[in-house]
Amino acid sequence: MNHDGLAPETRGRLIQACERIVGPGGVIVHPDELRVYECDALTYYRRSMPDLVVLPTSTQQVAEIVRLCREAGVPIVPRGAGTGLSGGATPFAGGVMIVLTRMSRILEIDLPNRMATVEAGCINLTLTNAVKRDGLFYAPDPASQQACTIGGNVAENAGGPHCLKYGVTTNHVLGATLVTPDGEIVRLGGKLSDEPGYDLLGVFVGSEGTLGICTEVTVRLMPQPEAVKTLLAIFQNMEDASNAVSGIIARGIIPVALEMIDRPTIQAVEANVKAGYPLDAGAVLLIELDGPRAEIEAEAMGVEALCREHRCLDLRVAYTEEERALLWKGRKEAAGSFGRITHHYYLQDAVVPRTKLPQVLREIEDIGKRYGVLVANVFHAGDGNVHPMICFDLHVPGQAEQAVKAGSEIMKRCIEAGGTVTGEHGIGLEKREYLRLMFSPDDLAAMQCVRRVFDPAGLCNPGKIFPEDEPQEYRSKTRHPSGEAAPR
Amino acid sequence: MQTVTTIVGGMQAIVGSDHVRGGAGTAAYRLGPAAPQAVVFPTDESEISRVLAFAWEKGLGVVPWGGGAHQSLGTLPTQYDVAIDLGRMDRLLEHEPADMTATAQAGIRVAELQRRLAVHGQFLPLDPPLADRATLGGILATRLSGPLSCRYGTARDLVLGVRVAHADGTITKAGGKVVKNASAYDITKLYLGSYGTLGVIVEATFRLYPRPAREQGWWIASPDLELAQAVAIRILRSHLVPNRVELVDRTALTALAGPAADSALLLSVAGVPEAVQGQGSDLVRIASDFGLSPVEFSLPERRWAALSDFPWVNSGSKTACYRAVWRAIVLPADCAKGMRAVRQATSQWAQAPMVASVAHGALRGAFCADTLEAVRRSLTAARTVLQSIAGILVVLEAPDSLRPEVDMWGVSPDALGVMQRLKSEFDPKRILNAGRLVGGI
Repeated sequence: MNHDGLAPETRGRLIQACERIVGPGGVIVHPDELRVYECDALTYYRRSMPDLVVLPTSTQQVAEIVRLCREAGVPIVPRGAGTGLSGGATPFAGGVMIVLTRMSRILEIDLPNRMATVEAGCINLTLTNAVKRDGLFYAPDPASQQACTIGGNVAENAGGPHCLKYGVTTNHVLGATLVTPDGEIVRLGGKLSDEPGYDLLGVFVGSEGTLGICTEVTVRLMPQPEAVKTLLAIFQNMEDASNAVSGIIARGIIPVALEMIDRPTIQAVEANVKAGYPLDAGAVLLIELDGPRAEIEAEAMGVEALCREHRCLDLRVAYTEEERALLWKGRKEAAGSFGRITHHYYLQDAVVPRTKLPQVLREIEDIGKRYGVLVANVFHAGDGNVHPMICFDLHVPGQAEQAVKAGSEIMKRCIEAGGTVTGEHGIGLEKREYLRLMFSPDDLAAMQCVRRVFDPAGLCNPGKIFPEDEPQEYRSKTRHPSGEAAPR
Repeated sequence: MQTVTTIVGGMQAIVGSDHVRGGAGTAAYRLGPAAPQAVVFPTDESEISRVLAFAWEKGLGVVPWGGGAHQSLGTLPTQYDVAIDLGRMDRLLEHEPADMTATAQAGIRVAELQRRLAVHGQFLPLDPPLADRATLGGILATRLSGPLSCRYGTARDLVLGVRVAHADGTITKAGGKVVKNASAYDITKLYLGSYGTLGVIVEATFRLYPRPAREQGWWIASPDLELAQAVAIRILRSHLVPNRVELVDRTALTALAGPAADSALLLSVAGVPEAVQGQGSDLVRIASDFGLSPVEFSLPERRWAALSDFPWVNSGSKTACYRAVWRAIVLPADCAKGMRAVRQATSQWAQAPMVASVAHGALRGAFCADTLEAVRRSLTAARTVLQSIAGILVVLEAPDSLRPEVDMWGVSPDALGVMQRLKSEFDPKRILNAGRLVGGI
């Protein structure tokens, strides 16, 4: 689908109408300013510019804007902080982009019930900071948590390093207010758990802005653990490290985080932030345990034994908060450090069964070699959520193509190993074609039923998730007048 | 209207004559006044697919049937021609202990599944009532859980993917088999709690946990519900990681062999012995801040099951009195308030044993009375008082003669319109458990 922009008169009318709703300061129309909104953190994937950007300050305003767009037949694209990694907030066919960053308030903190309600544009870390004094925290912690919005987390079902024990966004969202593509305000879920009826909230979380625009979110808050223990296990190679990961999981130990950082990443990180990772290591595991003190001491002994069993060279324990922060700093700055070793990188997000990690990592390395590209790995090993960073230089002719080919092969191998194409980044624009490797046309058709119920006109974040040429009249067989089931 | 012979004959052609029951053989599958014309026992996905395609073509009303343990839930289906009993689809298909995941067919009994997983020191931390009879598919379709949800969450936190047979017989999968997945819509969650109205769950993959080395329980007897509630809220905000936090009222205490008191908290902590010990002393300290003293106890596993089974079991015999079983949801901090309000509103008519899983504000209880009218009045009065604190009461089981007079669901969801449109998309002919779910879905 190409997009040449709205007709000038339609655009002009929309601008005027939006300005009436949010005031002139809330509408962005100048091409230079619009360029900021051309893509999210998946920067090499640009498709079209938004025709205009609107920054509403209330659910009511969002509803009015959506109704305007629906009447004009113009696509809407919701966006939070634009930190997404799969192109979920990248306009596909122009339209009106609704940016929720001005709706950033914490509306309620309900301590007795351990819940909070925030506007969609509330920054993830802001919430945890707001409840810290009360001994609570908000568990999902994407790497971008200082910038990303909770509404965006809901759209992408965001994860993070500490999701191994606590679960991802969907496990912590209790309710959401959304503006449907029709411009209606609907409340899904809420403070009561397990209300009768379909779990629409469950399917809305992770729907990447295609079922409506999330404007408010009610989340569960967790009590802070009694104690935290952070260890760094150093290995000769990735094989030993991944065997240790499989061993820890198989023993039934559930660390709060279990992250692997390979040699190329260590080089990049140390050149950049000096986290103290040994430069001669083949891989390190950053292992964090939290919970009742006696429990994590017992678990730490188990972890240590397993690491030694898998030939770990050294095991360091962070004894102070500063030491712990330093170990984490290396992990958190990893993506930002890649500039030290590569011009560009293509980041993937597949998940494989934990027992398959050693094998899959070996294969990833082989694939990289075959295509002549360096693959660095820094990832959520405990979940089996690999993040191969395929390094390339756009200026070297043909290298980007090789990187994409390597990426595609890695993805296929992960799926063959029983895995999935994305663990926490979402499908967005980037991974649409890979869906077919996982799901049959019938599987996708069932999802399209949901899409059609919420967004029959297909105006809400079009072009996302589903493969481009997926037919529009899905499950036509169930509507066939003869009532005959399709052959299987 | 299809004749019985067409239905039975058509089904026999698919699953073989030994695996279809008609006539008197359908009596055990009665729902309210209606028995189906045929009960079919498919053995695999392909058979259930063809059974549904047949029903779809003929426009037959279908009720998916697991162990039959919880068929009293929900409103009666508006059309009921065929029961599909999944009892023969009861295999544990995959269990890779080192991955902490497993895949099983829907017809496996929950207790049997747990026995199989226990061989490897693992379990699925779902403890619905009547786990001996209930099947995996049944508890997922009804989204039933139990006291362990305090620590482990409910089915929506544990199920990673499902395979579903749709109204026209199409088989689809949702989700996957790995523990983290953001690939397109998470429609697995739509099927959980859908009462089979969108499709029949035929297989599920779920997360497993290691069986704790030790589980230790405590009774904390309290002079009133509110004090026990306050202790519970303090514990849930502390760094303790309890397995179960159940607020038990006076009448239920008798049924559950608890201490002689107005009310009590029943708590448990599980893990390695040192950690259980450590948490135990913290618990004693918190309770003593409120002037209460925990009393330690250990239970064989079967007794923990009795707690999950309450009030289906132990809340007054169905034959000695008229009984209705219900659940309610309130804010976690309002459990005591809700229980007291229900007790006051119904004490003139019925015995009302009640328990609350405090972490989720999930109340469950029964009304036992000498007359049907007393049960009906109790349900109505309880629903009214709970509504006044923004709670919802759902009737889970009621005498047949009372059902037409009682709204089993008692609520109309905000997004009912969206739910109805979903039903039309997935099952436009309304053959799957039509009318069973809230709002006549």
